[in-house]
Amino acid sequence: MSDLLDTNETAVEELGPRPGLAPGQTVWELLAAVSPRIKDNPNTYEAQQLNRVSLDQCVKCTICETMCPVAKVTPLFSGPKFVGPQAERFRNGESVDHTLDYCSSCGICTLNCPQDVKIAEINSMARAVMKKDHMPLRDRLITQTELEGRLLTPFAPVANWALKQKPIRVAVEKVVGVHRDAPMPVAQSQSIKGWLKHRKGPAPRRPGQPDRGPVVFFTGCAGTYFEVETSKKTIEVLEHLGFEVLVPKQGCCGLAEQSNGLFDSARKRVVKLCEQLNAAGKELTVISSSGSCAGMIKHEAHEIMGVDDPAVRSVGTRMRETSEFLLDLFDEDELPTDFKTLEMKIPYHAPCQVKSQGMGMPAIRLMELVPGIRVIESEENCCGIAGTYGLKKEKYDVAQAVGRNLFEKVKEHNEGLAVCDTETCRWQIRNSTGVSTVHPVHVIHAAYGLSDVFSPEV
Amino acid sequence: MRDVMVIGAGLSGLLAAIRLRQAGLSVALVHKGRGGLQLGQGTVDVLGYRPQRVARPLDELDEFLADQHRASDIAHPYAHTGADAIREGVGYLAELLGEDYLVGDAEVNVALPTAVGALRPTAYYPPSMADGVVSLDPAKPGALRAGSAVVVVGIREFKDFTPELIAGNLALNDLPGGGRLEARADWVSFPARDGEVDSTGLNIARALDDPARRGALVDQLKALGRPGETIALPAVLGHEDPTAFADLRSQVGSPLFEIPVPPPGVPGMRLNDRLTRIAKEARVEVFLGSNVLGADSAGGVLQAGVVGTTGHDTHLKARAFLLAAGGFESGTLELDSYQKVSETILGLPLAIPAGELIHDTWAGQQPLFSVGVATNDDMVVVDPATGEPVYSNLYAAGGVLAGAQRWDEKSGEGIAVASAVRAADAIISNLAGGQR
Ligand SMILES: Cc1cc2nc3c(=O)[nH]c(=O)nc-3n(C[C@H](O)[C@H](O)[C@H](O)COP(=O)(O)OP(=O)(O)OC[C@H]3O[C@@H](n4cnc5c(N)ncnc54)[C@H](O)[C@@H]3O)c2cc1C
Ligand code: SF4
Ligand code: SF4
Ligand code: SF4
Repeated sequence: MSDLLDTNETAVEELGPRPGLAPGQTVWELLAAVSPRIKDNPNTYEAQQLNRVSLDQCVKCTICETMCPVAKVTPLFSGPKFVGPQAERFRNGESVDHTLDYCSSCGICTLNCPQDVKIAEINSMARAVMKKDHMPLRDRLITQTELEGRLLTPFAPVANWALKQKPIRVAVEKVVGVHRDAPMPVAQSQSIKGWLKHRKGPAPRRPGQPDRGPVVFFTGCAGTYFEVETSKKTIEVLEHLGFEVLVPKQGCCGLAEQSNGLFDSARKRVVKLCEQLNAAGKELTVISSSGSCAGMIKHEAHEIMGVDDPAVRSVGTRMRETSEFLLDLFDEDELPTDFKTLEMKIPYHAPCQVKSQGMGMPAIRLMELVPGIRVIESEENCCGIAGTYGLKKEKYDVAQAVGRNLFEKVKEHNEGLAVCDTETCRWQIRNSTGVSTVHPVHVIHAAYGLSDVFSPEV
Repeated sequence: MRDVMVIGAGLSGLLAAIRLRQAGLSVALVHKGRGGLQLGQGTVDVLGYRPQRVARPLDELDEFLADQHRASDIAHPYAHTGADAIREGVGYLAELLGEDYLVGDAEVNVALPTAVGALRPTAYYPPSMADGVVSLDPAKPGALRAGSAVVVVGIREFKDFTPELIAGNLALNDLPGGGRLEARADWVSFPARDGEVDSTGLNIARALDDPARRGALVDQLKALGRPGETIALPAVLGHEDPTAFADLRSQVGSPLFEIPVPPPGVPGMRLNDRLTRIAKEARVEVFLGSNVLGADSAGGVLQAGVVGTTGHDTHLKARAFLLAAGGFESGTLELDSYQKVSETILGLPLAIPAGELIHDTWAGQQPLFSVGVATNDDMVVVDPATGEPVYSNLYAAGGVLAGAQRWDEKSGEGIAVASAVRAADAIISNLAGGQR
């Protein structure tokens, strides 16, 4: 540690003071000023350090460049190798290449790098520093997903009406910077909490199914307020299979804040959430139908923000995305597969944040256990939305270009339905194709005869 | 439980996974990044030098292996696969990909112009390089022969291709059958995207995937070509559209070929993407971006590979395992500062040549690069000290195998393909045997 600090200090003295970096201040002191937790927690420092040090493994093979979905569609972004391992060497506290802001943090580069360079993670950390003095109001607002859900739910019909009115959207674009055509969630009149409170008890277990004990369900903000149907169906499928589904009081995972560089509040949120989930049982499997939130807790909190909290680590190791969980059951011969036949061709898109969990694409195998279903994989790296990236007025066109091939494929192959594991990606696909886009659990719910596959999507 | 877990998605891992799947086995393909295929030239080398240039690789294989045997006690991978597996493997690869992607003949090498104007031997090549073929077989003349006129055309916005250097060297090269080419240099301009003055080859290839953009290049090529001339361009003529090259060539109306350039290597990407797509469509289960960290074993049998899924490790059970994770270049083999070489995933015993591993002659072969895992003829990994299988159900293929100097011999792709097919077939017959 001290070696690195010394080197940087020498460099600063030789080159004179640099903007962003006070004379004599090191990069890490600057980072600590942005994220005070770095100071208190040596592991955080090391986690960040590990990402940064991985840049030395870069052999300049350009594989990341060839895979980056953003660099593919716009010359506004210099590409992962350039803004990642290459620029990082020169950053020394200030940003040398502001096109960095165009990186969508999809993580595709890291996944494809054969030398384990943490490209996307380096970019995310550097962006947090770059934006620290001028975080747009918009980026602070759109990250308040929980608040948005809570505000919109009681006024759902009005909110939904308002979000469809062009003049209102134009005003929102001007004032807040959210593009007028960007996809928006559909507000629901009942949150998952309301549904749980008012339903008459658990869904019936399948005939002859023994009790399988409790599991915890993590709804995620989107699953609480907007994609309520996905949460309901997940709970019902699990109950059908004999699980007791515990849904403790829970907040937001902080992913939207993390991806916008608001690390400190994101860290607080993810720690608090994991403490809440732990309160339901410290050994239980935690299941989530919010693919990206699962990824946040499993690895991004640690790898990008250096969170080293026992509660987060504990939940992270027990967290399973719904398809991952059901397919693990299948591989242990514990998943009943007496599914109804559903003759259907289904376009499926694996979101970047699900890909980055290194679990393959469980949704494909899971859905193809249902007789009659043939899945057409999108083969695209990203849908463009990348959390909140595609909402922003200056990035909307880039995000649409990133998703173009995917949208065409969905339009060409769908028979009324497309499938994708994360919420914002579903909004993006729905918005750009007009095709109902649902979580894979909708298909499984229908295949168990619990609903029609075309039942409401939200 | 899966039937087979394949570690690595390079040429050997992808090809084996597809073959296993086509035989009806369930296959999990776990890899941490992309393999070397898209960094290569998009050609398939079987055996290029021994050390003199090889004209008929399979005919010359026995002599090559005999020389190898005299020089080292580590068996060459081809000593295990034999010529039949090379024939079978390369044929299988070419058939899977189809003639839009790969043409050639494992029996006879051809020579192709390189980005420094040398002539490089290879066995199979994309059809977009066919007009640049120099024959090594006196009975069969290639597209280019003594006296052929070539114009090497650079693209101003693409900095990794210098036509003067290439044309100059090409004209100095004696052709295998005697005589030389006539070569000159010229330039065109093709900004891949608005205002781009420094484009990657891939950006240009993507622009040329759009039929509407091709005209601009065609017009310039038509204007500069002289009657009877063959046009050589950097290998950036289309990426996802397999008809892009044929369309360009027919619009220009004269012979036209691609010369491979440094990465990103578009011809290699075309092959890599196509193989990956075939694997996925066949429902090979692909785990991208997942390091294999180790494995569980009991009683000399591997039971599960430990996959570094985020948050937790996944113990992925399978009946057979194929290590196709490459060599030093992909981090599977590692040399520490005490000159100790190790295999980083499963900690396997390695075949290591006697004597010093690295010497300071720049041009010669380095013994280090022949370090790798030893196998028997079924590609089952064996302990080099005893010749006994390390695990009865662990196979290996590709760059991790001991005994080859892939870059010097120009044998990397041939070894990958032959060993993949040999290993897959052994797994298929052993698992079928186990079921009965
Ligand atoms: C720049 C370059 C140029 C080349 N040029 C030529 C040439 O001209 N002629 C020739 O014959 N050969 C050439 N080769 C060599 C040839 O490409 C290889 O020998 C051949 O492709 C080997 O393929 P492979 O499948 O064994 O390994 P690779 O292509 O190296 O693939 C290895 C795979 O294993 C994965 N992996 C590694 N470790 C792990 C782990 N712990 N967990 C999960 N996955 C892991 C990697 O990510 C990768 O997907 C070249 C190679 C390179 C890199
Ligand atoms: S893929 Fe990895 S090693 Fe290759 S250029 Fe990108 S960061 Fe470097
Ligand atoms: S995270 Fe995604 S957008 Fe950013 S550099 Fe990597 S591949 Fe490109
Ligand atoms: S992804 Fe995380 S932060 Fe975003 S809405 Fe879902 S729970 Fe909240």
